[in-house]
Amino acid sequence: MDYKHTAAEVLRLIGGRDNIISAAHCATRLRIVIADNSKVSKEALEDVDGVKGVFEASGQLQIIFGTGLVNKVYDAFIENAGISASTKEEVKADAASKGSFFKRFIKTLGDIFVPIIPAIVASGFLMGIMETLNFLSNNGYISLSNESTLFILANMFANTAYVFLPVLIGFSAGKVFGANPFLGGVIGMIMVHPNLQNAWTMTGGVEQYLDVFGLWNVPLVGYQGHVISVIIAVFVMATIEKWLHKRVPAMFDLFVTPLVSVFVTGFLTMTVIGPVFNFVESGIINAIQSLIALPLGIGSLVMGALYAPTVVTGIHHMYTIIDLGQIQEFGYTYWLPLASSANIAQGAAALAVALKTKDQKLKSMALPSSLSAFMGITEPAIFGVNLRFFRPFICACIGGGCGAMFASITSLGASGTGVTGIFGILLCLNAPVKYILMFLIAAGVSFVLTWLFGYENKKTEQKKGNDIAKADTQDHCETAEKADEKSAEDEKNVSAPLAGAVVSLTETGDETFASKVLGEGVAIEPSEGKVYAPFDATITAMMGHAVGLTGKNGVELLIHVGIDTVKLDGKHYKPHCEEGQEVKAGTLLLEFDRDAIQKEGYRTVTPIIVTNADDYKAVEGTEQKTVSALETLLTVK
Amino acid sequence: MKQFTYIITDEVGIHARPAGLLVKEAKQYASKIVIQKGEKQAEATKLMAIMGLGVKCGDEIIVQVSGEDEEHAATQMEAFFKENL
Repeated sequence: MDYKHTAAEVLRLIGGRDNIISAAHCATRLRIVIADNSKVSKEALEDVDGVKGVFEASGQLQIIFGTGLVNKVYDAFIENAGISASTKEEVKADAASKGSFFKRFIKTLGDIFVPIIPAIVASGFLMGIMETLNFLSNNGYISLSNESTLFILANMFANTAYVFLPVLIGFSAGKVFGANPFLGGVIGMIMVHPNLQNAWTMTGGVEQYLDVFGLWNVPLVGYQGHVISVIIAVFVMATIEKWLHKRVPAMFDLFVTPLVSVFVTGFLTMTVIGPVFNFVESGIINAIQSLIALPLGIGSLVMGALYAPTVVTGIHHMYTIIDLGQIQEFGYTYWLPLASSANIAQGAAALAVALKTKDQKLKSMALPSSLSAFMGITEPAIFGVNLRFFRPFICACIGGGCGAMFASITSLGASGTGVTGIFGILLCLNAPVKYILMFLIAAGVSFVLTWLFGYENKKTEQKKGNDIAKADTQDHCETAEKADEKSAEDEKNVSAPLAGAVVSLTETGDETFASKVLGEGVAIEPSEGKVYAPFDATITAMMGHAVGLTGKNGVELLIHVGIDTVKLDGKHYKPHCEEGQEVKAGTLLLEFDRDAIQKEGYRTVTPIIVTNADDYKAVEGTEQKTVSALETLLTVK
Repeated sequence: MKQFTYIITDEVGIHARPAGLLVKEAKQYASKIVIQKGEKQAEATKLMAIMGLGVKCGDEIIVQVSGEDEEHAATQMEAFFKENL
């Protein structure tokens, strides 16, 4: 087959170079993100030599070529089109980028936060308890020594994930943006470096300013509690890093690229991104101050609704300033009840999701997130639950606004700052009933709205999705998600006959296997010297070093243990079956001495080939890097 | 029908690699090509079946070619065996 010709044809039929946003390939498919789908002639594509199928799924045009072939067509394709190779992740990102900017932004936030949720949910909950206990003890409500060893340690453990939140975000964002995650982590660490003044405890004002080329001064203050500025910084770093990777010679890459990308990003962050962000923040704080001065609780309604979005951006660390300013001016802070209302509303929305969902994993996360929000730590509820499904977030904002409006109309003020949510009532002991009513309004509105409109039970949605997907566009490359698809009628799964690392046939370094003369498949670098029957089958060939099976499902499979090992003439191999024998899936077929074979100078990498691949539309390999014996390895369609 | 016999000289016989090449070769012709070793026989286009014959060095096989291009196919197949096996 002429790969170049095929690639050129594909390029022509998808509307040429200008119609490609990005291209990648998985084990079997060429995946292209297309700018204008109307320029693609799908029918004509299906007739191109080597193409086994064409369809659109998850925003990508997917052209099935099959293992071994796809990478060659891909190489010819990107050369022909004059584009650079992108990873599958990038193609997915591009597919996602076809949504609106706002949707992409929310999705990116979710992608960054979901992996770090285990670190922040429980600790947020504990932090809420600790802050409450600390407050109670300081104000004499309970007698508890906050200087006891247990208290001090628990307090430290509870807030660690939050003190160093930019580090976690930096790592996670690095992954999401395709940078080295550890370098992303370093950017996060720079932003909360111990040499910087802590943004949370800055009551005495900025201690030190840095001069930037005599142009402007930047305060030497950390970015504790920041989210968005960390993400922006890591995004900048990812861009620089990727740019450098392409240009720096491999010899210097390891040294130059991380150094330059971290240094440049760190410098930009401390001198430009951060200060710009701080400037925007002070502007917002001023705007908020004038907003809440609006009469009739309108300002509070708006601000109660906008409070949570400002938590998303990380501005909330500056709110203590408002509290303190108001206490100084009026003796009370009217800001704290507003904040409390917004936090309670987020907790209530997460609670509604927790009670309504049938997804156990989500439930187990939403419940503690909700409790921690009720105690004033809203990040887990916002990022882990509400913002992910988005509508609960909106419902909570409305609830927060309503509660805040009530507080403002009834002039609910707090005597201090530091604790919101359930225990915020202790700051409002002058008007506890008002506080409770505010609580109920915020929680009630948010909960009811979320229950009614904010969250549809995922199960039903997924089912719908599956039906549509099965009809045409199921994305089979992602076998991990599709483990339960065995029921699909026109598909046959081939389990891994042996455990080990999955490699492509080209990586076997053997022309016969790589060229697909024998059929389609993958190879396994075995971690154990045992070969099992991958399905119910009849043994059609038993050659010592190789086993041929014909499955009850019609699939003919060759398991060839090692390369060139025919020359061993059966030495180091111990067959457990014979030709013509019928075997059940999981039967031990062959044992071999891995080390002995390798000592004789042979590779033990084991091609697993569907020899009658021509009878099928496609043979697709798993995307897992390693498999255990009898895990799904190939899907034959 | 054309037929020829051949004695395998390749020291490891018809193992996976030559079997694959054999199938590839045989698929080029319209004729049906059957390889016989002792009592067993296999169609040359079926990889599994050929490997199942377990042809070793020194074994004598009979190759039968029948179909519209049998003349040409038989000559080519014989050449293939001489070159590869």
